[in-house]
Amino acid sequence: MDFPGRDASQRVIALDDVSLDIRKGEFVCLLGPSGCGKSTLLNIIGGMLEQTSGTVTVNGTPVSSPRPNEIAYVFQESTLFPWFTVLENFRLALKFRGTEDAGWRDRAMQSLTAVGMEQFASHYPKQLSVGMKQRINLARGICVGSEVMLLDEPFAALDEQTRMVLGEDLSILLARRGKTIVFVTHSLAEAVFLADRIVVMTARPGKVKASIEVPEAHPRSPDFMLTDAFQDIRKELYGLLRDEIRQTVAAMRQARDAQA
Amino acid sequence: MSPNMSSNAIRLVRLLLILGVILLWELYARMVATSSFSAAPSQVLAQLWPKVLGEPNVRFAIGITLIELVVAFVMSVVFGMLIGVLVGLSDIGRRSFYPIVLLLYGIPQAILLPLFVLVFGLGPASKIAFGFTHGVFPVIVNTIAGMRNVNPLLMRGAASMGATKFEQLRYVMFPHMVTAVFTGLRLAMTMTLLGVLLAELFVSQGGIGYFTLLYAETFNPAALIALVLTLALLAIILNELVRMIEARFSRWKE
Ligand SMILES: Nc1ncnc2c1ncn2[C@@H]1O[C@H](COP(=O)(O)OP(=O)(O)O)[C@@H](O)[C@H]1O
Ligand SMILES: [Mg+2]
Repeated sequence: MDFPGRDASQRVIALDDVSLDIRKGEFVCLLGPSGCGKSTLLNIIGGMLEQTSGTVTVNGTPVSSPRPNEIAYVFQESTLFPWFTVLENFRLALKFRGTEDAGWRDRAMQSLTAVGMEQFASHYPKQLSVGMKQRINLARGICVGSEVMLLDEPFAALDEQTRMVLGEDLSILLARRGKTIVFVTHSLAEAVFLADRIVVMTARPGKVKASIEVPEAHPRSPDFMLTDAFQDIRKELYGLLRDEIRQTVAAMRQARDAQA
Repeated sequence: MSPNMSSNAIRLVRLLLILGVILLWELYARMVATSSFSAAPSQVLAQLWPKVLGEPNVRFAIGITLIELVVAFVMSVVFGMLIGVLVGLSDIGRRSFYPIVLLLYGIPQAILLPLFVLVFGLGPASKIAFGFTHGVFPVIVNTIAGMRNVNPLLMRGAASMGATKFEQLRYVMFPHMVTAVFTGLRLAMTMTLLGVLLAELFVSQGGIGYFTLLYAETFNPAALIALVLTLALLAIILNELVRMIEARFSRWKE
């Protein structure tokens, strides 16, 4: 992925030679230093951004524009529309997608119940905490029933504890549904806890540096975090990432010095 | 102290303040001022009904002014929002057209009033036109401003859910604009009223302008004040109407 910028000095090669096969029903975490192109990759997979070279296929068909029937998106910040109630937000998502039918209300309530938010159906987003909103964003992504879910640091704005609880809930929720997930995160523990496979990316231009399997069945209990297997994978990830983060920081210093 | 009590106390103080001013005015008018240039509230009230408002010609004039005002306001809103959305939608439109709008908005229009009368005549048309040119600019400017700072994440979220361009406008852009547009509408109401009344007073062949002149020249301040107060009351009611509609659209802000 090559962002041309206004002139040559602003040109950014965000992704370079990334090749990734994701199995149906697999939970993949993307891990990498900030600015390495994780969001860009997710946007390309989701058809929100057109790549300058290469191809993306989902279920055998190339992606070039949003495909809400197959792909649901959850962003770092809530994308609930503040001027509609929670339930109206669900209805709108289904309407945009063209699948608003007689049963929409039941399906919406089911997904809200699944994340424990059913009593807030007629609240406005302003009345909810950040964590509650993100729960509802997850529920909305699940409700629309697409096979693929792309999550871009969905828990980054939450505090550590809310984050852990939501992570566990997500693991339980998704284990039943067999969805294919690509999940971007900064948190090593989150990646190990949630993923079937963790893809570690290099500093920009982002490439795939390593791909690490987490052989543990879903849903996972919090006890998994206390096991040696968990700690070993976490340590390995840390080792892989450390160099890349150093490199990112060095590149930033260089850019700053070049400007001065 | 409960919030209820304090808000009651505020209301009481406000009422006392208003009553105090009216009382002072009454005393001043009766004891100090000359009767041909000012009138006490009690005298104004006596003139208001049945004299001023009982007069069919005055009622007719007020009715005409009201109709002019409503027509000018509706035209300002419809054209203002249409132009605002069309201009605000495209970057080129905004950059080429917006400065022209701001330039025109800045002209004190009173100097153009004789021109309006020349073009549109002495009847309601010139008053509606003058009200419209006062009202339409605040609507355009606030509509464009309202479109500018929509949260891009919400637009992307809608796009990711498969919203068409029209749906993005209808369900994201328009609700986002409501606050700014209503600021424009409230301003437009005030400005339209200003435009219509200015034109009415300037052309004193008939209508409100005729009667204000008549009352002033025949040294009947009580009737003049009664007429002015009636117009002020109408303005307040219309503004409150816009505010009530706005409140209905703003429930989500809670
Ligand atoms: N639209 C764009 N135009 C130019 N550069 C961009 C654009 N989007 C992202 N970038 C650049 O591409 C790189 C990768 O960005 P991003 O994918 O957001 O990183 P990450 O999500 O891994 O933190 C960054 O250096 C960013 O500045
Ligand atoms: Mg990112």
